Amino acid sequence: MLTRRRFLGYSALSSALLVSRPLLRSGFAQPPTGATAAPLRLAIIGSVYHLESDLQSIADRFLVGYPFEGNWHKPNVQVVSVYVDSLVPKFGGPLAWGWRREAVRAAPHTQGKSGAHPGSSTQELEPGPPNPPVAHSVRQRPGARGLGEESPENIGPTTDLSRARSQEFGFRLCRNIPEALRAGGERLAVDAVITVAEQGDYPANDRGQTLLPCYDFFQQCVQVFQEEGRGVPYFNHKQLSFSFPEAKQMVETAERLRFPLLAGSSYPVTWRLPDVDIPFGAQVEEAVMVGLGAFDGRDFDALEAMQCMLERRKGGETGVKAVQLLEGDDVWQAGREGRYSRELLSSALSRSDTPLGLTLLDGRNQDLVGSGVLPQLVKNPAAYCIEYADGTHATLLILNGAIMDFNISARVAGKGMVSTQFFLPPTPNLTNTACLAAKIEQTFTTGKTPYPVERTLLTSGMLEACLDSRHRLNQRLETPHLAVKYQPPSESQYART
Amino acid sequence: MAQNKTASGMRPKLAAVVTSIRLYSHPQHIVDRFLDGYGWNGTFHHPKMDLVGLYVDQRDEGDLTQELIDRHPGLKVYPSIAEAVTLGTSKLAVDGVVVVGEHGRYPLTATGQAMQPHFRFFESIVDVFRSSNRSVPYFNDKQLSSWSWSQSKQMFDTSRQMGFPLQGGSSLAVTWRIPSVEFPAGATVKEALCVGYGGVDSYDFHALETIQCMVERRKGGETGVEWLQAYQGESFWKAYEQGVWPHSLVKAALSRSSTLMPASQIFTDVYPSVKQMRELVPDPTAYRYQHRDGLRCTMLLMNGLVRDFTFAADIEGQSQPFSTQMYLPMPDGRTTLASFFSPLVHNAELMFLTGKAQYPIARTLLTSGLVIAGVDSIFQGLRRLETPQLAVTYQPSPESTFWRS
Repeated sequence: MLTRRRFLGYSALSSALLVSRPLLRSGFAQPPTGATAAPLRLAIIGSVYHLESDLQSIADRFLVGYPFEGNWHKPNVQVVSVYVDSLVPKFGGPLAWGWRREAVRAAPHTQGKSGAHPGSSTQELEPGPPNPPVAHSVRQRPGARGLGEESPENIGPTTDLSRARSQEFGFRLCRNIPEALRAGGERLAVDAVITVAEQGDYPANDRGQTLLPCYDFFQQCVQVFQEEGRGVPYFNHKQLSFSFPEAKQMVETAERLRFPLLAGSSYPVTWRLPDVDIPFGAQVEEAVMVGLGAFDGRDFDALEAMQCMLERRKGGETGVKAVQLLEGDDVWQAGREGRYSRELLSSALSRSDTPLGLTLLDGRNQDLVGSGVLPQLVKNPAAYCIEYADGTHATLLILNGAIMDFNISARVAGKGMVSTQFFLPPTPNLTNTACLAAKIEQTFTTGKTPYPVERTLLTSGMLEACLDSRHRLNQRLETPHLAVKYQPPSESQYART
Repeated sequence: MAQNKTASGMRPKLAAVVTSIRLYSHPQHIVDRFLDGYGWNGTFHHPKMDLVGLYVDQRDEGDLTQELIDRHPGLKVYPSIAEAVTLGTSKLAVDGVVVVGEHGRYPLTATGQAMQPHFRFFESIVDVFRSSNRSVPYFNDKQLSSWSWSQSKQMFDTSRQMGFPLQGGSSLAVTWRIPSVEFPAGATVKEALCVGYGGVDSYDFHALETIQCMVERRKGGETGVEWLQAYQGESFWKAYEQGVWPHSLVKAALSRSSTLMPASQIFTDVYPSVKQMRELVPDPTAYRYQHRDGLRCTMLLMNGLVRDFTFAADIEGQSQPFSTQMYLPMPDGRTTLASFFSPLVHNAELMFLTGKAQYPIARTLLTSGLVIAGVDSIFQGLRRLETPQLAVTYQPSPESTFWRS
């Protein structure tokens, strides 16, 4: 939660920075010929605008269009303002002050075998961060060079692209979030907001969670919405927050202010190989997901991909009653004890196109489970064990060293195993974010989210609880706070056409 | 004369006749799948057949044959093709043959085509069929003959005369599609196009099979091809700008690509202008050809622009082009397995088990002929060539055979 003081700091800044609204539209940003509706005005808020950053991959879709259903689709959208957190001169960034919030230092709200659920722990906040410095604008920052001055060979993975994009597409590059939402004026001046917080200079807490400022971005937008007396459709990339109470508060705020809130990863909406889903309403006994990463953000993507399939089971989502994060030999031991199905593990791995080990040597196919080679390949396995309230259980196995893609297999009563690979197209196109852009655009143009934000809420909480378990020496933790119930849409929402 | 053993419930025995076995060569991908199994239908699948005889035409640097034998004691290498298919006896001793004529080092023809040994392998094997008075299902990877129409035709005719199933072609026809869609059976189509990559006399075959496995399902079935013209260099771009092939189909195809090279270094996924395509693609190739029922097809090889194969067609009654990507999980950094060989091998297994080809070899006869005509057109100064020999008519298999489970 933002303090009034913190908020006023931003407000004062924005009114001091009124400049004529740049309206240099490029051909790219023009609405399609024949379109009569005024373009939807969009504010984009993110951490870093580097080549192949999540922000760049998603924001560009609304500037240059994206592949959709066999056409190069140009959304009828005008990006009017962009806020890039890493560009703001900072003490580690004004929004990195989020790490000082009480919520972060409070005792984890997941609980072990004893102790009551403390409930929301976000009530008390530190005094707000200092006002952002006003003296140096981004462009005037000593040593800063506009991207137009960069020679192409100087464009590296950490080169900021937002200034070049601002020049090319004529959007306002803003120094704070209220300014972005007001497009330099006094009133809310956008029809929708996209936020993409990702790994940057943000600190991590003692549980290994990067303190991404999703909640802070959201709260600053909400301040503007509240002053205006209305909100606009809002997309939050990936987890809502590293803190479940914050995430929950975001969902409740959106409900209260009645603006559509869409969130989550691109994995649930990307293509699948094969094109299959859990039959809607089917009884799911167990699921095993395999992937790579762990504690780096991709575990969220993987958990949400798993969740988007499991939520379709009979009765809909009932929430999660307990989690446990296992590591090292305990992962293999759990397999031997039947805590996850080796058959499902083998099935999920059979969907992989990226087995490592001997496949790298001579290109051979490998039955990684049957051959017993898995423990040799994976030195530091992790298992995210999820126990749902209705008894279904699911396990995400992070198998760095064995595979490099994400695959799932689920046992469905009467159907056998349903398995697939979540297709992650190669760099640089990363067209999975085009699949996501289509869902974002749909939310903005219809005012309705194609899938419930509760999916992302629950997944945010599952991830946090798993990291808590890890922090507590891999203890099983009961999670009564994750009793998140929702009904998914009956129609599959991943890319199929 | 064709027979198969599966009716008796026994595991069929197979012999493989291949060029050379090296990492990421077609023989490695295919032979390994029969021996080691592969992921299929959500399990690790072991073919219900035994590959027991092997002939390797060239064993030079990087050869993996010995490693294969060491791992698979049931496999024996023979010094000749005849011995591989007779398992060292005097008669045909296997229930199916797996032939891979791709890769290896072979001399070039006057038009620069590598003289891959598909036909030589075929003749040697058929000699044994004849002398044994028995023939068995025959899998032939990729083209029939990569460089001679008369050889291709002879292979096709021989299999018909002797009555053994012959199946092959490109993995593009059977791999995943993104989206997972089939060309509507009996549809009327006037224009179809594939954007692909790779070289002439190599990946052009894959691009042509991409088109053909789709358009053969059109109304009336396949009628054959009456002419072909190749375009390269300036003539390619002139034809492009004049709209010799529909820009709408190029756009539809490229919108299915997941490897579209950004024209600007500061973008990661952006649709290029024709001017930008020119800068990205220094050496483009097109084959433009007309079927005898009027359908016009275009194959574009655009190295530098894409690294995948996409298809688009104008189907009567549909407001937008029909389009998809034939997805190749490619071990060039994107994957470690060339999993597109799995559906190719799986369809071969089905042929060995059922004694029936899963899709028509006439498709591959036609596409083999189209490659040869394309190379001829280039060699003759990009001349339009009449192709009366390509009056290949056939009906597609009613069932879809691409990978979707």
